[in-house]
Amino acid sequence: MTITIPGLFLADLIGAVQAAGGGGEAVRTFFGLSPRATIWVVAQLHLLFAAFVLGVPIFAVIVEFIGWRTDDQRYDRLAREFIKLLTVAFATTAALGGLLAFTLFGLYPAFSTYFVSIFSPSMYVYAVFFFVETGILYSYYYSWDRLKRHKGVHITLGVLLNLAGTILVFISNAWASYMMSPVGVDETGTFVGTTMEAVMNPLWMPLNIHRLLGNVAFGGFVVGAYAAVKFLAARTEERRAHYDWMGYVGNFIGLAALIPLPFAGYYLGREIYSASPVMGNNMMGGEFSWTFILQAALVGLLFIVGNYYLWSGMNRIPGAERYQRFVKYFNVILIVCVAIWLTPRNLPMSAEEQLALGGQVHPVLGYFGLMAAKNAVINFIILTTFASFLLYRRANKTDLVPVSEQGGGATTLMLLAGALCLLILGWYAGVMFTLPPDSLGLGPEKAIYVRIPALLLVVTMVAVVVCVVLCLRDKGRLAQVVYMAMVALMSVGVLGVYGFVVMVQANPLLRQVAATQWLILMSALILVTAIDVLLFRGARSLGPIRWGEVTARSQYALIALCVTIVLTMGLMGFVRSGLRENWHIYGVVRDTSEWGFTPTTAVMTQMVGGITLLFLTVVSFLFWLSGLDEKEHVPEPAGSD
Amino acid sequence: MAALKVSFFTVFLIGLFIWLGAGITRVSGEGASVRLGVGLSVENGEQIFWGPGKCSTCHSIGPRGSTVRGPNLGESRQGPELAIRAAERAAQRALALGHDVTGTEYLIESIAEPSAYVVDGFKDEMPRVYDPPISLGPDQIASVIMYLQTIGGAPDPSAIVLPPVIREATSGRGGADAWAPYLAGDSILGRALFFDLDGPAPCSKCHSVNNEGGDVGPDLTAVAGVRTAQFIVEAILEPSAEIAGGYESVLIQTTDGRILDGVIRRETQDSVWLADGEGIESALATTAIARRRVQETSLMPEDFARLLTVAELHDLLAYLETLR
Repeated sequence: MTITIPGLFLADLIGAVQAAGGGGEAVRTFFGLSPRATIWVVAQLHLLFAAFVLGVPIFAVIVEFIGWRTDDQRYDRLAREFIKLLTVAFATTAALGGLLAFTLFGLYPAFSTYFVSIFSPSMYVYAVFFFVETGILYSYYYSWDRLKRHKGVHITLGVLLNLAGTILVFISNAWASYMMSPVGVDETGTFVGTTMEAVMNPLWMPLNIHRLLGNVAFGGFVVGAYAAVKFLAARTEERRAHYDWMGYVGNFIGLAALIPLPFAGYYLGREIYSASPVMGNNMMGGEFSWTFILQAALVGLLFIVGNYYLWSGMNRIPGAERYQRFVKYFNVILIVCVAIWLTPRNLPMSAEEQLALGGQVHPVLGYFGLMAAKNAVINFIILTTFASFLLYRRANKTDLVPVSEQGGGATTLMLLAGALCLLILGWYAGVMFTLPPDSLGLGPEKAIYVRIPALLLVVTMVAVVVCVVLCLRDKGRLAQVVYMAMVALMSVGVLGVYGFVVMVQANPLLRQVAATQWLILMSALILVTAIDVLLFRGARSLGPIRWGEVTARSQYALIALCVTIVLTMGLMGFVRSGLRENWHIYGVVRDTSEWGFTPTTAVMTQMVGGITLLFLTVVSFLFWLSGLDEKEHVPEPAGSD
Repeated sequence: MAALKVSFFTVFLIGLFIWLGAGITRVSGEGASVRLGVGLSVENGEQIFWGPGKCSTCHSIGPRGSTVRGPNLGESRQGPELAIRAAERAAQRALALGHDVTGTEYLIESIAEPSAYVVDGFKDEMPRVYDPPISLGPDQIASVIMYLQTIGGAPDPSAIVLPPVIREATSGRGGADAWAPYLAGDSILGRALFFDLDGPAPCSKCHSVNNEGGDVGPDLTAVAGVRTAQFIVEAILEPSAEIAGGYESVLIQTTDGRILDGVIRRETQDSVWLADGEGIESALATTAIARRRVQETSLMPEDFARLLTVAELHDLLAYLETLR
């Protein structure tokens, strides 16, 4: 029976029912401990394991596919090793999921009852797909040898495993996102929509994209750390070579997924703001603004350490010394950019301190605290990381085969890459050319501010055409330099400075400026990668990569990456959940208990630090268990790629 | 050995993260949250503006704050201080609406109906702060408006009449605990009671409505616009629970040993004008004051629960509820 009392919010309704003894307790403690902290620990642990379980199969299947198509058994073995780690983590993930459900029902019965009344159909679907995923996972792992002559079938199983996993994560994302942006609720707080409407709430898809990428980055860095520990403990050159290579692949996957993550995060943040300006403002300009300084420090660390690992790895590549001179410049760029990224706009100050500073905001550093500066530097960080990858890829390559001699396939690839870039840039230029200023709350005299990014996109499109022509005329290196410089100029320089102008003259436009910056950067990733593939196809090698000949320090970098990404996941988990403040379901069901408050950053870091330590301890134990039956067989030396 | 080193390294990194968090809490002062006061006051308004009202997540005030999503409400590139700006905007709104609009009414409209007028260069995205999730109550909104009035002006609670949209949106708050009158009450009888100086509740001796009545206590011309029924009843039955700003009772001991009790009407460097419970004003030279202390009790009698019947209380409430 639905009870509707006009003017009464659901939170109050629940309270009223409970007060009348009809709904039991609203909140129970966990053996005297805070129910909120209990849910926090269990949910975050579950999410960390789930991220690993869902992220690893994505790249494991890709690695297996590469092994199949290149007929390189090393990749096949690596993919199998990834899945082996997965199987030991899978049961723990499921157990933690069950524990999360039990604690939610036990500690928050009133909220859980309401929540189930909305989502129960999706919960059955979730259970079905959980069984499906379990079945496919074990079939996939245990049929590895049996299906080795039917690799296509085996890889199809892997794809199905990912499909089931993706459905699972999408369903649970619907629950989490609904709590932030509920739909189908009338003015009294009563749910009047359908389950499907609740699933497809405004934050569902942004969260799906963000979590998928995050899971891949997470899985890559955890695998990298696993390989690093194995490398440090290895007693033979062969094992060191194997785990060095595995660590490299893990880091490559982690960094590759990390590159688009800030944009996925920006998209999610933008949608959070659109769904609730109050929540959005609280995120970046309110109680949670400091957590984003912490996040900048952690993500900055991921980029700096990830790049350090790449540069360190160049020591094992013959010919890499030609490019070592660039490293110091990259390093300076990264450190300066990260420093700007984590600069807060202002700090609480005493009157004397303000007087000494000349105001609440530092006359120079204050500008670094603005979003325009942060948008510019994150683009520069990503561009620099991409440049590091390019140097690593070409480290031992020489005697290039001209593109004009590579046949029609090369030309087609180049034209396709160029067309894709033109399509992306042209589409957004069209959007910006036709965007009415009043849709952003701007007067007609501000139209010029909207058109400028469109014009810059057109200029970038001209650069795309020029670079495609240059590449097809065997000037690929020049094309890469020209386009990278163009993107740095447009995305970081011009639009970076323009962001400050926009913040003053047409503030609502800043989001469109950020999107323009990102799309220009994306075009560089697409076009320059395509040129790079053609440029070094068939090039002579100066010698094989000497896997295993890497410093112990670089392996600690891999471990630092793993710890940092776990901390980042924990931190952002807190932010996503904490943004609801004292609401179970934002604006609809209030947490009226004494635990419904936002903890300080100090308490938060203690909690997240503790959860990280717990997760790494459990996962280390599980990996150790999985290695108990490992024979001391010697993997064949890694090759030269 | 390798595992041990890795463990130490991991613990070190996590420790660094925790240390950073502790440092942030120390420098940001986030742990020092203040408990909000109750009732209508500029101080409460300021706390709400910079705290649970979340106004400061969009608006700065002059050099205070750093957000730029909404207009800066202090003296800034966007114009003079808010009170002055509000008066200018009120003139524009008067032209658009076809009737007089005061600066305070413009401020109230900005909060009650943020989309009614959007400052050029800013998006129409301000939330209705009386709706969830912010869910400010009428007193809190009125306090914020009083605080906004002080930005370039003086607080004027009597000018604050909250529109029905706010009262309706917040009327059901509190759910099962929400107070509701027991009886309907007769506002005509209530009015008669209010102005009957020989009756059990000669309210007009101290309070005025539309310039009729005394001025020892706050003007009640628009009391129902800013106060809930529950608040009004509590103010009648327990007048000392919360004393309106500017109407605190002061105990003065003169140098010649006299003890005086009353409300300070105005004060200069040389003199203090004190009104007693009957509204009679007397001037005192500041040099004649030996000691003075703000009282925790109101001048208003505490015994209305005994003097009024339940029906009379509801009649009085019904009348006060008409004052919007």
